Amino acid sequence: MVWIYTEEIVNNNIIKILILSSVMAFGFAGDIQGKITFDGKAPKMKSLRMDADPVCVANNEVAPRREWLILDENNGLKNVLVFVKESSAGSSLAGEFNLPENPAVIDQNGCIYVPHVLGVMVGQKLDILNSDGTLHNIHALPKVNKEFNNAMPRSKKRMTVQFDKSEAPFKVKCDVHPWMGAFIGVFDHPYFAVTGDDGSYVISGLEPGVYVIEAWHEKLGSQTANVTVGDSAANFTFTKPKKPKKK
Amino acid sequence: MDSHNHHEEPFYRKYIWSTDHKIIGLQYGITSLIFLLIGFSLMMIMRWQLAYPESAVPLVGSIFGEDGMLLPEIYNSLGAMHGTIMIFLGIVPLAVGAFGNYFVPLQIGAPDMAFPKLNAASYWSYFVGGVVMMSSFFTAEGAARSGWTSYPPLADIEVGQTMWLIGMIFLITSSLLGSINIITTIIQLRAPGLTWMRMPFFVWAQFVTSFLLVLAFPPLEAAAVLQLMDRVVGTSFFLPSGLVVSGELLGVSGGGSPLLWQHLFWFLAHPEVYVLILPAMGIVGEVIANNTRKPLWGYNSLVFSVVFLGFMSFIVWAHHMFITGMGTAMSAFFQTTTMIISIPSVIILSAFFISLWGASIRFNTPMLFALAFLPMFGIGGLTGLPLGFAAADIYLHDTYYVIGHFHYVVAPGTIFGLFAGIYYWYPKITGRKMSELLGKLHFWPSLIFMNGVFMPMFIQGLAGVSRRLWDGGLEYAHASGVLHWNEFMSISAWLLGLAQLPFIFNIFYSLKRGEKVDKNPWGATTLEWTAPSPPLPHVNFEKIPEVHRVAYEYSVPGRKRDFTPQTEPKKG
Repeated sequence: MVWIYTEEIVNNNIIKILILSSVMAFGFAGDIQGKITFDGKAPKMKSLRMDADPVCVANNEVAPRREWLILDENNGLKNVLVFVKESSAGSSLAGEFNLPENPAVIDQNGCIYVPHVLGVMVGQKLDILNSDGTLHNIHALPKVNKEFNNAMPRSKKRMTVQFDKSEAPFKVKCDVHPWMGAFIGVFDHPYFAVTGDDGSYVISGLEPGVYVIEAWHEKLGSQTANVTVGDSAANFTFTKPKKPKKK
Repeated sequence: MDSHNHHEEPFYRKYIWSTDHKIIGLQYGITSLIFLLIGFSLMMIMRWQLAYPESAVPLVGSIFGEDGMLLPEIYNSLGAMHGTIMIFLGIVPLAVGAFGNYFVPLQIGAPDMAFPKLNAASYWSYFVGGVVMMSSFFTAEGAARSGWTSYPPLADIEVGQTMWLIGMIFLITSSLLGSINIITTIIQLRAPGLTWMRMPFFVWAQFVTSFLLVLAFPPLEAAAVLQLMDRVVGTSFFLPSGLVVSGELLGVSGGGSPLLWQHLFWFLAHPEVYVLILPAMGIVGEVIANNTRKPLWGYNSLVFSVVFLGFMSFIVWAHHMFITGMGTAMSAFFQTTTMIISIPSVIILSAFFISLWGASIRFNTPMLFALAFLPMFGIGGLTGLPLGFAAADIYLHDTYYVIGHFHYVVAPGTIFGLFAGIYYWYPKITGRKMSELLGKLHFWPSLIFMNGVFMPMFIQGLAGVSRRLWDGGLEYAHASGVLHWNEFMSISAWLLGLAQLPFIFNIFYSLKRGEKVDKNPWGATTLEWTAPSPPLPHVNFEKIPEVHRVAYEYSVPGRKRDFTPQTEPKKG
């Protein structure tokens, strides 16, 4: 929380009131943070075979590994999308939220998607980049929003899209390079985050109250929890689901 | 009959909701020529992408996005719509709708078509089909992008296809109405004395063409309705069970057969090839007889060949499907029928060539186009033979070789035949000849650049370059040795576009400034030249002509003139 002392700078009463209001609003806002970890024996991620496209091979010094399970030394789990699912007990998600000034970005770089998991707001611009000198095909498979399927030849470096409705994470794939996959969640609020290398996340700017948050992983499923803003960290632990026994 | 001549019809009745076969023929002609220009323009845009991949298209690039580049999905749309427009909205309506409508009744001495209102319905159904097709470019999904053949399962699930199918249903309906009309007219309304074997070859060609349309189009109309149902109401006529699209299992009931579409499509589309070529052969026959001043050599053989060709065209369709794994017995059957069907084509072409022998040929513009038709169609036909053999077709299938082959048949083949017809019959429609100078300025560059566009396709195709690559094969090592031809072909295509300007100008210029001529400026024998130019509204002839002779009595020894009209009574 930051307190800004403004009296010496401005004398205009209206401006004082405005600033005071915003400071108060900011003052009441809080964070939800936590860490996602993986419990159990992690399967080894195999290297991606990119031999089908020599450009992909050339663009990676070392062949990247499959991306669905990336852990740090403490089993912190990367690429988990954590978001406020609903509010409860006096808090509210209703209202107008400003869109971020900068578009979200997903890059096709080294024939993988960077980032692998991404959250965007409804109506926010999403720049899709092609940093590889090869043909990609960006094929989004939403169920609620409109599916799109556009080729991005090597000279098509950027295209911009946006989504009109909120939607649970859906897959984005390249029909040219079948190993490529990414996931995008679309939200009608800005309260979402993707875990970093160490599995931690921060969702900022929430009004005080109790929220249901969900941690979503592309293969390990989802978990939800009731979390009060400002409380101790909201941590989740994922385990590898057991395969059902064959009868 | 005279009462028709005296009452003046309002403009909309005379030119818009007309039931006069000549006005409907002109409506067809003008609309189809505009569509040919549009279809050709799409190809000129595609050729930019092929010659200079991934660079901004000049002049019109901004339509395709801020960087002006033609992306693969738009390229696919342009490709599918080029084929659709050229065949279903351009050539067939021009060859059958325009030429058939205008000249079949005139050549058989009829006052109009047998069903004038059906005739108007045919044109307006075609018009609506055209509007639906063109408007698909402006929808959110864009125009169809699954090829003019619309193979499922791709066409069942790809965007843009719904409008294509609705458009096709209108176009097919139009063709059915038109062809029923032509058949009935030829059977019922021939002038007294016009026996079957006195009919001009053009009428025979239109007669057989109409039978092909009326028998071959219904399966495609049914197929189009089924595919539409697959897309709109969730049926699975053409969708198999367990279909995986983009790694996801498609949520459809399944159980359908994609191969069924191919059968239904090619059951139309192979006879359709003859729908494209026969009217042009008919025109070429007329022009050659007239300008060699000799009877067509082997008229009877020509007639029997064209009828046999019509029959055979219904049992060759699966030679388009050799790579579907149909089995050797079926392949053997269809490659045998394919070889057999080449025999009547060769007879027709040979008869035309022999007709030139020893003639004192008039090299006017219609004749130049007719003469060019012969070797061009010859190249198209002969290059089709390897495709008729399963063993060769498996290698050549879907390469540029195929594109080169069928374009030689329909572009310097059919379209040259149609150009010949326009130059030949323009005086009948307007009372004036088209400019010869402009005609030759149209012909010679067109001949040169047509070959510039299509000949290198054989080279690329033999090297294995696929016909559907939006970058012309840039990504493929085996194509690298022949890709330099792309620029040559594209420049030829643009110059071919320029070469059409004298033609377009000539059409308008000659309306006012063309040489005024009497009703038979070419010294021709057939009945249309006994009618006034233009023929009288609704009734055509001052009085129904009586036919006394075969179609082509040219240079008969002992006669005063080198032509004897069919209406001239025999002495004694």
